[in-house]
Amino acid sequence: MALTSIQFLIFTVCLLVVYYALPKRFQWCVLLASSMLFYCMAGWKNAAYILVTAVSTYFAARRMQTLAERQTAFLKANSGLSREEKRAYKAKIGAHRRRLMAVTLVLNFGILCVFKYASFALSQVNGLIRLFGSEGFSGTFQFLVPLGISFYTFQTMGYLIDVYWKKVDAQKNFCKLLLFVSFFPQITQGPISNYAQLSEELFTPHAYSFENYKDGGIRMIWGFAKKLVLADLLAPYVSAVFAHYTEYAGITVLIGAFFYSIQIYADFSGYMDIVCGLCQMLGIRLTENFERPYFSKSIAEYWRRWHISLGAWFKTYLYYPIAVSKWNQKLGRRAQKRFGKHFGQTLPASLALVAVWLTTGLWHGASWGYIVWGGVNGLFIIFSLWMEPVYEAAKRRLHIHEERWLWRAFQTVRTFMLVTLIKVLPEVGGLRNGLGLWKRIFTNHSIPKSFSALLPFAKKGELILILLFTAALFIVSLIQRRQPARQWFTRWPKVLQLLFLAILILAALFFGSSGNAGGFLYAQF
Amino acid sequence: MDELMEILEDIAPDVDYETEDRLIDGKVLDSFSIVSLVAAISEEFDIEISPKYLVPENFNSAKAMWEMIQRIQEEE
Repeated sequence: MALTSIQFLIFTVCLLVVYYALPKRFQWCVLLASSMLFYCMAGWKNAAYILVTAVSTYFAARRMQTLAERQTAFLKANSGLSREEKRAYKAKIGAHRRRLMAVTLVLNFGILCVFKYASFALSQVNGLIRLFGSEGFSGTFQFLVPLGISFYTFQTMGYLIDVYWKKVDAQKNFCKLLLFVSFFPQITQGPISNYAQLSEELFTPHAYSFENYKDGGIRMIWGFAKKLVLADLLAPYVSAVFAHYTEYAGITVLIGAFFYSIQIYADFSGYMDIVCGLCQMLGIRLTENFERPYFSKSIAEYWRRWHISLGAWFKTYLYYPIAVSKWNQKLGRRAQKRFGKHFGQTLPASLALVAVWLTTGLWHGASWGYIVWGGVNGLFIIFSLWMEPVYEAAKRRLHIHEERWLWRAFQTVRTFMLVTLIKVLPEVGGLRNGLGLWKRIFTNHSIPKSFSALLPFAKKGELILILLFTAALFIVSLIQRRQPARQWFTRWPKVLQLLFLAILILAALFFGSSGNAGGFLYAQF
Repeated sequence: MDELMEILEDIAPDVDYETEDRLIDGKVLDSFSIVSLVAAISEEFDIEISPKYLVPENFNSAKAMWEMIQRIQEEE
């Protein structure tokens, strides 16, 4: 069921009525039933995989919890044991818990890998075999990838690791865990929530609040308009330019790349506005995924403000474990003695970043385009980390003051341009095309002689609408620097508020029903 | 506590560690600083700081870090 369909609107209305009509203690049951219904409507056959994830994680987490409790009780009852005896017992229980976690991680990430990467891996193996003159394996892996598998697997494995780290207690009620795994607003595109935060929101009863309904409703309308008007209006331009980039001037291709940056932001943040708005109407606060990312002043900052929940997952469960691991810290100390303090301090973080960015690339898609895309992002971040002392010295010498608006504007524009160029790498139908698109931008300097040559597909009316909406997005982002945009909006005269919302609704309905409405870009990941 | 203060001064000077209690939430320290901090603390106090301790609550202030160090020393 697409979030931009009439069925979803009917589904939402029915959910809101039942959610608040039943006694509050049943609210989480209503959410579970809705989530199961939503998931099965997307293909009930694939529901088996999400159940495997929920069941395996439930039992592993429960067992880890039991072992931890047994350890605490044993040490309390045997307080007279020597330090070594206590250590030995802890090590035995620890190893058991670690095995449980490892098996569950392998099972679940294994399912994810088979669905997402088997076909890519086979094609790479075949390519290698053909290099030696053999035929390679025949056949392909053709799977229908279960809905939201990248998102629910990461979220659930995060919970499992949190139980292992004793950050949270294992959930005793299987149905409650199943709701955490399958909560429908976030199943298709996230956010990837952590258990401590989301469980509190899901299992606490919520009273009806008109404010929540109003604010959530406004946010949903804004999200629908972003997706159905701006993102879907930009989509045909972007596709046309990317598909035939060799026929256009470099400047036209560059404009296409900028359009793509705006499209993907309107698409993904529009989705987030829809689901966060819906959750607010249910009294549930979802993790935010965006913090005005195109106002970032470096690539590292951009990734702290774009798809925040994915970045937080990688930071917690991959970056820190690698960066603070014994071997990496040892390596850092050695490097510090040999190559100096700065290198020694940045080496452990750099190695962890390499792993994080290659995995981030693979998470987005099974192709060399995504792997290189991840690698390029990682390289920029690692390079700026290493060069920090040089930058600082250059800024002092050139009398550049960080707080000056001109310098900040330069950093923001530079970051936006870099992000835009990196973004297109995997999106043009393979790495070769992505690199070809770069080549076209940088080597074709012809100046189109007319507006229709500059933007060959542009229709004047649509272009004005795109520019107006982009300007509105820009203004909203500027306002969000100082206060929540909704707070600012609710200070408008009531008539203007209603008029603005009516225009957004009509525009979303008009463009949504025009047949051009496409799927959400991040759902493919 | 003095050793910890020295480490903090070395990693991010110009911060009043006596009063600052939003080192992470206020973005005074980022994930790179945390990794450097963990390396320095581990070496100075001869402890192993596992990733489970790397949560904002343990690094938002010098006091919270000191309490974390003591907790790890007790556990070890």
